[in-house]
Amino acid sequence: MNTTLKAALVATTALAASATGVLAEAHGKMKIGITQNNVGVDSYQTTYEKAFIEAANANENVEAVVLDAGGDVARQIAQVEDLIQQQVDAIIIWPTNGEAVIPAVRKAQKAGIPVIVTNSNIAEEGFDFVASFSGPDNITQGARAAEIMCDKFKDMGIADSAQIVQISGQPGYTTAIERAKGFEDRLPEVCPDVKLVETQPGDWNREKSQKVMEAFLVKYDKIDGVYAGDDNMGVGALNAAKAAGRDGIIFVGATNFAVGYEAMEAGDYWGSIYQSPVDDAKAALQTAIDVLDKKDVPFLNYFDTPKITQDNMDQFTKPVF
Amino acid sequence: MAALTWSNITQVLAKQGILIAFALFMFGFALANARFLDIDNVLGVVRSSAILGVMALGVTFVVISGNLDLSVGSMMSFSTIVVLDLHDKIGPALAIPAMFALTLCLGALIGFLVGYLRLNSLIVTLGMLSAIHGLTLTWSGGKNMDIADKQGTWFGIFGQDEMLGVPVPILVFVLLAVVLSVLLARTPFGRKVYAVGGNGTAATFSGIPRARIVFCTYLISAFCVACAGLLQASRSLGSQNTVGQGLELEVLAAVILGGASLLGGSGTVFKTVIGVLILGFIQNGLLLVGLEFYVQYVVTWVIIILAVWLDVAAKRGRLWSPIA
Repeated sequence: MNTTLKAALVATTALAASATGVLAEAHGKMKIGITQNNVGVDSYQTTYEKAFIEAANANENVEAVVLDAGGDVARQIAQVEDLIQQQVDAIIIWPTNGEAVIPAVRKAQKAGIPVIVTNSNIAEEGFDFVASFSGPDNITQGARAAEIMCDKFKDMGIADSAQIVQISGQPGYTTAIERAKGFEDRLPEVCPDVKLVETQPGDWNREKSQKVMEAFLVKYDKIDGVYAGDDNMGVGALNAAKAAGRDGIIFVGATNFAVGYEAMEAGDYWGSIYQSPVDDAKAALQTAIDVLDKKDVPFLNYFDTPKITQDNMDQFTKPVF
Repeated sequence: MAALTWSNITQVLAKQGILIAFALFMFGFALANARFLDIDNVLGVVRSSAILGVMALGVTFVVISGNLDLSVGSMMSFSTIVVLDLHDKIGPALAIPAMFALTLCLGALIGFLVGYLRLNSLIVTLGMLSAIHGLTLTWSGGKNMDIADKQGTWFGIFGQDEMLGVPVPILVFVLLAVVLSVLLARTPFGRKVYAVGGNGTAATFSGIPRARIVFCTYLISAFCVACAGLLQASRSLGSQNTVGQGLELEVLAAVILGGASLLGGSGTVFKTVIGVLILGFIQNGLLLVGLEFYVQYVVTWVIIILAVWLDVAAKRGRLWSPIA
């Protein structure tokens, strides 16, 4: 199944590549500028940048201008203005701030340059100025995590009585809110008798998450499952459970990190959502190319983030971050 | 025993207002959730506070000498990442001293800038906060750092093992607290730290080498940070680059909560320990009570303000004391 999907993907990319080849012959290389959020702050973003540059280099019809805002909104706005000055054909932006970059995005759109938002979307009032959003669908990710958890409970025969806790991402972050919402909405649909007893934030931080889990373990004698907003936090919670000698808890995370993958190999951690920064980067570039080729691109152009569990993990390579 | 009169008791209590506040909160949380005082929970909180606590011990010296250290959070990330990376490259036995040496170099640099070039410590350490963060990211290439063979290493003993039924991080915290407490309260060096922070000019006229004392306080701070980094790395055998981010403010809050003056010249190691424990138990207590987490930020602040108020009210002997 996965291989056919891959084959199909390769075929379509090849098709797209030959199509863009024809186009490129007609009017030269496409110049695509990207301004990223904060490369180097975490391994996801570091890997993303590498993959983006590789993908752009591999495509002879693309000339990429790769910039990084270093997490600074003002610098990102300046970079968008620079890209407009350089008259690039398309701008990809990984917003440092979903609100503050809107005027810059609007400026680019006014200058006739299509803007593609990557990874995390800008605020809704800016949607009019954006050609397409390319990124993961966090609500689906949360929903899928709920399904992974529920399926496992059904296998174990405890779907009618299980009690779980949730460790969410940093309060106020869209990704954190959407994943929690996806999970909380889907869980009662698939496993109406599983009870989510408490949610506390782990701030995307392994150490903080470990502390939160320690408190949960003191507070609740019965915990059958933990849903964490990413694997870093999930592994923090796992460490707490190990230290307290509480076995048999089902851990499900999101954004499968190398540590999560390893914990799955060791049999301590049940599952996660596979979100590859390489796919993320390639999808962003492809979306920009498709927009320039005047293809019909959906406004919310999600790339697939499949379920990964101990059962199917051999189909996925270990994340490099 | 005749000394146990009312005025004596109030005198003693007045010095320990922060202890009263601490006891009150513990009582309140214990009422709210009976498990709060379970030995497992208490040990768990002290163990996870130990990392913050070890850092706070060092910063206590810096603050008493009249300076600030805002770089400890990112310096701790640095120590953690470096020791984890070197662990796989040169083995734990060499990685630990190498990490200590590198961290002490950073401390020496700050001490030199503040002590010998007399630059403002706020600016120097605020700058170092971001410079060291950059150094850490350069070292790691932005990636999470994990020990490859987690089962086969003895490196986990500092963070995960127990001795005599007590988690090792707690032992390290207590041991450092005792040693540094003696150093600060019972040695000529300690008295000089107070003198430099209390009245620098007078200290100079008394022949105290101010620059050297300030330099040494930053070395002590860096040493404590290295210990904290070791505990952190050993506890999780892997780390994000941002592991210490924001800790500098928690550390400072603990030190000030313990009653050290930001202007220098006062504070003790013991009170810093109380400050650390208050912060640790607030966090844990609020989790056990299960308050909505957006509310927790507010409640944390309220409790800290209450603690500070009780502390100063006990010292002044009155609750109401407007600026006159």
